[in-house]
Amino acid sequence: MAILEDIGRREITTSMSFLNTISFAFKVAGRMFQPRIYNSAMRMVLINQIYFTSVQIVPVFLAASIILGSLLIGIVFEFLKMLNLTAYLGNVLMGLIVTELSPLFTVFFMTLRSSSAINTEMAVMKVDGEINTLEVFRIDVIDYLLVPRIISGIISLVLLSSLFSIVLMASGIIISWVIFGISIDLYSNILLTSADFFDIVISLIKCAVFGFFITMIPIQSGLRASREFTSIPIAVSNGMVNVFTAIIIIEVLSLVIKLF
Amino acid sequence: METNRLRAAPVSTDVPLISNKEVWMNIALIKQYHENISRISAEKMVLDALKRLDMENIAYLRNPSLTNVERFCVLLLRACMVRDALVIIDRPFSIIPHLQDADFIFQTLKKIDDFYTTCYIFDYQWMADKYGEI
Repeated sequence: MAILEDIGRREITTSMSFLNTISFAFKVAGRMFQPRIYNSAMRMVLINQIYFTSVQIVPVFLAASIILGSLLIGIVFEFLKMLNLTAYLGNVLMGLIVTELSPLFTVFFMTLRSSSAINTEMAVMKVDGEINTLEVFRIDVIDYLLVPRIISGIISLVLLSSLFSIVLMASGIIISWVIFGISIDLYSNILLTSADFFDIVISLIKCAVFGFFITMIPIQSGLRASREFTSIPIAVSNGMVNVFTAIIIIEVLSLVIKLF
Repeated sequence: METNRLRAAPVSTDVPLISNKEVWMNIALIKQYHENISRISAEKMVLDALKRLDMENIAYLRNPSLTNVERFCVLLLRACMVRDALVIIDRPFSIIPHLQDADFIFQTLKKIDDFYTTCYIFDYQWMADKYGEI
C-alpha cells in the first residue's frame, strides 16, 4: 500500500510540476507580445543576451560544427555508398541531418553552455537577494529577466541551427566529391530536389520551441532557489534535468508531427 | 498610502546592487525601466549624479569592486532615481560599519538633496549617539 501511495505521490508531484511549467510558459509567451515591456532597460538586457548567447559562442560553435559535421557527413555518405543507397543521398542529408540532427546538436550545445549559466545566474541572484531588489523597485522579473533571455534563446537557436546546417551542407560538397565523385552542380540539384518546405518549417519551429524552453526552464528553476547557498546546486541540477526532459519531449512531439 | 509605496526607495543591505551590472547600470535601471529613458540619456544622468559625489570614476565598476562608502553612495543614488523618491535608509552603519558618526551620511544627503523629496533614516535606539543632535 505504501508503495502505491509513494508512486501516486510522485506521479502527482511530477504532473503538478509539468502543469506549472506549461502554465508559466503560456504566461511568459503572453508577455512577449506586449509592446509595453520593451522599455529601454529590457532592450539593453536583450542586446547583451543576444551577444552572450549568439555571438560569443560563434567561434567555438563553428569549430565544433566543422569538425563534427564533416565527420558525421563523411560517415553517413560512406554508409550510403556501402549499402548502395546513393539515390537517397539528398533525402538523408535534408530529412535526417539538416532537419533533425542540426537542431538537436545546437540545442545540446546551447544547453551545456547557456542554460546552465542562466540557471546558476538566476539561483545566485535569488540567494543574494537581487531578485528581491528588483521586486522592491517594482521591476517585473518576468519582463526584465525572463523575456529578454527567452527571446535571445529563440533567436540564437534558430540562427545557430541554420549555421550548423549550412556548415554541414558545405562540408557535404567536398565529401560527396571525394566519396561519390559528385560535382557541385549535381550536389546542389540533389539538395534542392530533396528539400521539403514543410520539414524546414517544422525544423525552424522546433528550434524556436527548443530555444524557448531551454531558457525558460533554467530561469524558472533558478528562481525556485531559497535564500541559502546550498540551494544553488539543487536548483541547477533540477533545472538541467528538466531541460533535458523537455528536449526529449519536444523532439518526440516533432517526430510524431512529421510522421503524420 | 499607495502613493507612498510607489515612492518608497530603500537603501539597505537587504536590497543589494545587481552584481552582474556596472554601477551606472544599477542606478540607471530604475529610470530606464519605469520612465523608458534612453540608454545614452540614462548613462549621462548617472555620470552627472556620480560627479556630484566625486565618484564618477566608479561608474563602470561592479559591486564587488566597491568600497563600503562607494557602495552606500551607489545605493543612495539608485534610491534617488525613483520618481519623487521617499528615501528610506535602513541601518546605514551596517552598510558603512567603519564610520564613527553620521556626518558623512548627512553631507552626502545634502549634496544630492534635489534628487529626493523626503528621507528617513531608521536605526537601532542604541545607535542614537552616532547621529548626535539632528
